[in-house]
Amino acid sequence: MQDGRKMYVIMVYDIKVERVNKILRIARKYLTWIQNSVLEGEITDAKFERLKYELREAIDEAEDSVVFYLLRTTRYSSREIMGVQKGGEIRIL
Amino acid sequence: MKKTFYIFSNGELHRKENTLCFEGDKGRQYIPVESVSEFLIFGEVTMNKKLLEFLSQQEILLHFFNYYGYYIGTFYPREHYNSGLIILKQAEHYLDDTKRIELARKFVEGAVANMLRVLKYYAARGIDLAPYIEELESISGKLKENSTIEQLMALEGLAREAYYETFNLIIEDPEFRLDKREKRPPTTRLNSLISFGNSLLYVALLSEIYKTHLDPRIGFLHSTNSRRFTLNLDVAEIFKPIIVDRTLFSLLNKRMLDSSHFVKELNGVYLNEKGRAIFVNEFENKLASTIKHDKLKRNVSYRYLMRMELFKLEKHLIGEENYEPFLARW
Repeated sequence: MQDGRKMYVIMVYDIKVERVNKILRIARKYLTWIQNSVLEGEITDAKFERLKYELREAIDEAEDSVVFYLLRTTRYSSREIMGVQKGGEIRIL
Repeated sequence: MKKTFYIFSNGELHRKENTLCFEGDKGRQYIPVESVSEFLIFGEVTMNKKLLEFLSQQEILLHFFNYYGYYIGTFYPREHYNSGLIILKQAEHYLDDTKRIELARKFVEGAVANMLRVLKYYAARGIDLAPYIEELESISGKLKENSTIEQLMALEGLAREAYYETFNLIIEDPEFRLDKREKRPPTTRLNSLISFGNSLLYVALLSEIYKTHLDPRIGFLHSTNSRRFTLNLDVAEIFKPIIVDRTLFSLLNKRMLDSSHFVKELNGVYLNEKGRAIFVNEFENKLASTIKHDKLKRNVSYRYLMRMELFKLEKHLIGEENYEPFLARW
C-alpha cells in the first residue's frame, strides 16, 4: 500500500539467440541480473505489468519462453548457492 | 519500495541500454533504474549530462559528499510536485511570527521527547540516567511557555548538551568517548559518527521532501537563508535520537566499528570507506525496520514515518489539521 502492492519475482527465460539481448536489456531496467537467463527483484504490480508488456512486444510467442516465479514475500524462502556467485543486488557499490 | 544506492568506490555512472550502469574497479554493474530512488555518492564518480537528463526524467536524486564525507550538494531534478499554494503557505507560516514559533516549538518538543525516550530505554536497562532525565524534563516543561525562536534554539541546545553527556554512560566501548560535541572538523571518533549519521539523515529527509509538495528551502526552526535547504534540518531534529543515535549505539555496543575504520586527517577524525559502508548498512536497516503505527493500524518503516511527518506538515500549512510531532513509544 505504501508504494503500490509489491512482490518479489524471479524471472527465467529461454529465448532464441537473435532476441536474447533485447530481452535482457528490458529485464535489466526492472530486475537484478543473477546469472545467464535469470533475474530477480522486488517489483510493484504496476511495474510488473509494464515489464510483461515490454517483453510481450519483444518476444516471438511461437519460439520464446519467459517464466516468472512470484513470491508475495521472501519471508519464508531461502537461497542456496553452489559454485560461483555471478550477480545479485548490490546497493553499496 | 524504490531504494537508496550508495557509491563508495571510484568509477563511472552512466546511462546504458535505458538503465543505469556503474563501471568501477570491480567491473560493470547494472542497476535497475526502476528500483532506484536516489544515489549517495562518496567516491570519485564521473558522469555526463545524458545521465543527468535520464535521472531527471526518472525523478532520481543524486546526493554528493566530499572526501571527508561532508554533504556538498544534491542534483535535485526539476520539481515534479510543483505547488504554488504550498510554497505560499510555507512562506506565510514563516513570515508570521506566531505561526512560525508554533511550528518551531513542535519540532523542539518532538526532539526533546524523543531524546527522553532514548534515555528512558537505557535507564530501564539499569544505567543511572536520572539526573539527565530530570533535566530534559524540566527543559521540556519550559518549551510550553511563550518564547522567541532564539529562546527555543537555546533550550534545544541545552537539551542536546545534557543528552550528549549521557553517551559516555550508554556506550560501553571506552574507545568511543564523547567529551565535547564538535563538528567542523569532528575531533573524536564518536563526534565523527554523530556528524556522519546526521548528514545521512538530512539527506534522507531531503529525498522524502522531494516526494511531497513542500519546498525544502523554507524551514521554521532553522532560519531560511539564501544558502541551503532548511526544512529537512527542522524535521531531522525529531528523528535524530531515534534513528541516528540508536544506530550508533547498536553499532558500538555490538562492537561493529573499531579504530581500523577511522582515519585522522586535517585535525579531524573521519570514517574510512570500510567504516562508512558498515555505518550505512546499519543505518539503512534502521530506516527499513518497521513499527506498528497506532493510527494506521499497520506496520510502517521509519523511512515512511519520515514521509508521513511531512504530510502532516502539509496538512498543518493548509489548515486541515494541526501538526503534532512523531513521538517514539519505546
